[in-house]
Amino acid sequence: MGFLAPWFLGGLAALAVPVFVHLLRRHKATPRPVSSLMFFERGTQSSTRHRRLRYLVLFALRCALLLLVVLAFANPYIRKATPDANFRLLLIVLDHSFSMRAGTRFADAKQQALALLAGKPHGQKTQIISLGGQFEMRTAAITDDAQLRAALENIQPGDGHANFGELGQAMRSLTETEDGPIELHLFSDMQRTAMPSNLAEAVLPNNVELMLHPVADGPARANWTVESVEAPATLSDPKDPKHSRVQAVIAGFGTPAATKTVSLLVNGKTIATRKIEVPASGRATVEFRPLDVGYGFNRCEVRVEGEDAFPADDTSVFAVRRSDPERVLFVHAAEDTRSALYFGSALSAATQGSFAVQSVAAEQATDLAPSKYAFVVLSDTVTLPGIFEHTLGQYVANGGRVLIALGTAAGHHRQIPLWGGDVKDTHDYAREGGTATVGLVDFGYPALDQAQPGADNGGWADVRVFYAAVPEQGQARVAARLSDGTPLLLDKQVGEGHIMLLASGLENLTNDLPLHPIFVVFVDRMARYLSGDERLSGSKVVDSFVQLRGAAEPAGVAANVEVIDPDGRRPLSLSEARTMQSFRLGRSGFYQIRFANGRDAVIGVNPDRRESNLEPLTKDVQDLWSGSSGSRGTQPAGAARVPVKARPVSLWWYVMMLALVVASAETALASDHLGTQREEA
Amino acid sequence: MQRFLDPNVLAGISSLDLLAKTVVDGFVAGLHRSPDFGFSQEFAEYRAYVPGDDLRHVDWNLFARTERCYLKRYRGETNTQVTVLLDASNSMQYTSGPPTKMDYARFIAASLFYLAIHNQRDAAGLIVFDEDVREYIRPSTRPGQLARLFAGLERAEPRATTDLAKPLRHFQNLLHRRGIVILISDFYEEPEKIVRAIAPLRFRGNEIVLLHILDPQEIRPELRGSALLVDLETDRRIEVIPEYARTTYRAKIDTHIEELRSRAQGAGMDYQLLVTSEPLDRALRGYLSLRQAGN
Repeated sequence: MGFLAPWFLGGLAALAVPVFVHLLRRHKATPRPVSSLMFFERGTQSSTRHRRLRYLVLFALRCALLLLVVLAFANPYIRKATPDANFRLLLIVLDHSFSMRAGTRFADAKQQALALLAGKPHGQKTQIISLGGQFEMRTAAITDDAQLRAALENIQPGDGHANFGELGQAMRSLTETEDGPIELHLFSDMQRTAMPSNLAEAVLPNNVELMLHPVADGPARANWTVESVEAPATLSDPKDPKHSRVQAVIAGFGTPAATKTVSLLVNGKTIATRKIEVPASGRATVEFRPLDVGYGFNRCEVRVEGEDAFPADDTSVFAVRRSDPERVLFVHAAEDTRSALYFGSALSAATQGSFAVQSVAAEQATDLAPSKYAFVVLSDTVTLPGIFEHTLGQYVANGGRVLIALGTAAGHHRQIPLWGGDVKDTHDYAREGGTATVGLVDFGYPALDQAQPGADNGGWADVRVFYAAVPEQGQARVAARLSDGTPLLLDKQVGEGHIMLLASGLENLTNDLPLHPIFVVFVDRMARYLSGDERLSGSKVVDSFVQLRGAAEPAGVAANVEVIDPDGRRPLSLSEARTMQSFRLGRSGFYQIRFANGRDAVIGVNPDRRESNLEPLTKDVQDLWSGSSGSRGTQPAGAARVPVKARPVSLWWYVMMLALVVASAETALASDHLGTQREEA
Repeated sequence: MQRFLDPNVLAGISSLDLLAKTVVDGFVAGLHRSPDFGFSQEFAEYRAYVPGDDLRHVDWNLFARTERCYLKRYRGETNTQVTVLLDASNSMQYTSGPPTKMDYARFIAASLFYLAIHNQRDAAGLIVFDEDVREYIRPSTRPGQLARLFAGLERAEPRATTDLAKPLRHFQNLLHRRGIVILISDFYEEPEKIVRAIAPLRFRGNEIVLLHILDPQEIRPELRGSALLVDLETDRRIEVIPEYARTTYRAKIDTHIEELRSRAQGAGMDYQLLVTSEPLDRALRGYLSLRQAGN
């Protein structure tokens, strides 16, 4: 309690006025003679006492009024213990990854989080975050307990993979805008696989205090799972023993050696069963062949029979589409016989018979209709029949895709069909006494896609290029360059289609690429990209994305896509179906998708198998992690700490309101008294 | 002429003789009728003769005309006796402005004496009392009686307290003959005691008139603030607030007046409340009405 303007307290001297009027002046009662006091007796004294009481009340009111006015000017305040405006932000992070479905982990974690929320001081800013798959902010930093509780209760167990590295990264991003202290409570099963291999990625900023609330029920329990499934996404010949097979890896985590029964289900029917010996905490591979499926999309599932600690991960789903092989038109120069051989072999090996190469010489391509082929390859064919070139141009403009490989013939004619540019120069590295290597590779380019390219430049480091043309680049995207900077692989959009240009040949005369394993991978990726099948993979992991439409769709064309989730619902609204470029596969099960180009796909989505390892982080690692952000360790639920700061709260308004009330009472009482005197006067 | 009855004007007249003459002449002038009445035989009524009646009163003229025997009755022509009992206690000296209640009582008494002796030829007497009889002037019509009465009024200065019961015995001894008894007082006593004390006079055939003299401030007191009131008779002191004087006191004094009036009239007495700010004609009119009633 104090005063912001204490010098106004000098006004208390004004209290002398009512004291004089009521207490001092009234003692000077003048004696007044009357004939008789016959009628002024006992009743008079009682009334006088009553009147004195009223005067005292009036006196008290006047004194109180003066006191309150003086106090109001002195501006009193109290130091109220209120939560500091800069007090720590409370973050409640609830892990709802796939592993939280095991036992009562998720229910326990949510209950503890709700208890913490209920026990936190009112007024503390709190934010609800869910971890698992995506780091999702469920609320902003707010103080509304009801909204926070609703947000917390709305979190449901998911199928994603928790990554504490993402948590650390998100905290680092958050602290760029929130410089105050942050108290982070993590309710999780503390799965070991959620921690990145490099602990530094999970380290939190200094102003973040981490409190761990592990909910794992004891040591890791035995759990078998289908770790991976190798199956053809597209199958053209079920009797082909080389391709028509399913290989599944059964893994045990914390398990003893056991004989497990593994079943293959196609469209809900068990078509094969195998028994395998799974070593203790080890892996075993089981193979089903042949894979006899009908035409169209088949929803397949590999299942490990028997009880374990985590039944939800005992199955792995995938989709197999059976169709006839798609044809690929391979146009080559009459004298070139090698390129078709290399390309056809690689394509056959890579795509498991999904494509059949039709090789024709350029002169014989006059009457061919490119639209009947999945894609077209022009191998060192600088001159094409006019009709075919025109037809091919229309094919590309309507969405077709063509691969052009420039061999030695390009150096003589300088003209590149369909490309819209000529060969500016040629590099004959062999004649210059050396070779060129592949320098820069864009592994994000679909035809060169590699998630984790190795140190050998993804396998391209050993490739030697002897001869390369230098085409006019124009607006084309360069996907790979040689070590001297010469573009090796370019991509240009023409109309709705794409033209891929390889600045060297597909035979072993201009480079030794066909002799390297990367060639098969390259042809596989390229074939899928050119045919549009790269989006139709039969199996994906939860939280992966599917490209719904081309990146550069022509303006005015708004083809709808359609997505049906594992529950049979359509998660996209009409506007989203018209505009959305990609879709996140957030749940496990089968998604049915119709792409913007009209193709259909069924995709089996499985949780990340790292979630199947229920082994928690060791206590040391947990202490190390939480200690990295302030050494707070694990805490029981409902223990949010809030710094309390005594803040001066002005009472001016309340004092003035009270003075107004007192003034009203004084006015009423005084007017009553004075009114009597006026009447008598 | 009305102004000659205004107490404020009368207060400036030092001589009671002149004052009384002024009052009575002013009063008589305002009556609009001859003041000469009742001093000769006046016909009152005829009454049938009954055996035993004095034959001297038979109207023989009427008998000669109608052969019926009627007695002719006249109003009595005997003078009456007026005795004024004047309260001279300390409470009578109270005033909120001239005149005091005592002076007002003197004015009334003097006016009555003048009217009785000079105009009506009545015998007039005076008894001044407080807690005892302080002065007694026997009723008489002799020359110089008016001067003696005025001198008695001049000597009646307020002192002591009022006690009607004690001097009552003397009243009964002093008033041998029936007449009009006019009691002038502020009557600060219980109405029951007052009436009980005076009632014996009524029983002896006297006409009793109670003239209740009060100051306006005693009926509607004005207090601007709490005041310390001092009793003029007992010197008691009480602090009184305006609200009490405005409400409770007024109710009490009104009740007292009304009860006194009621009890007096119930005992066959006449009662007049006289406020010192009012003209004196009301007191004189009361006396004359009683005088005219046949006394």
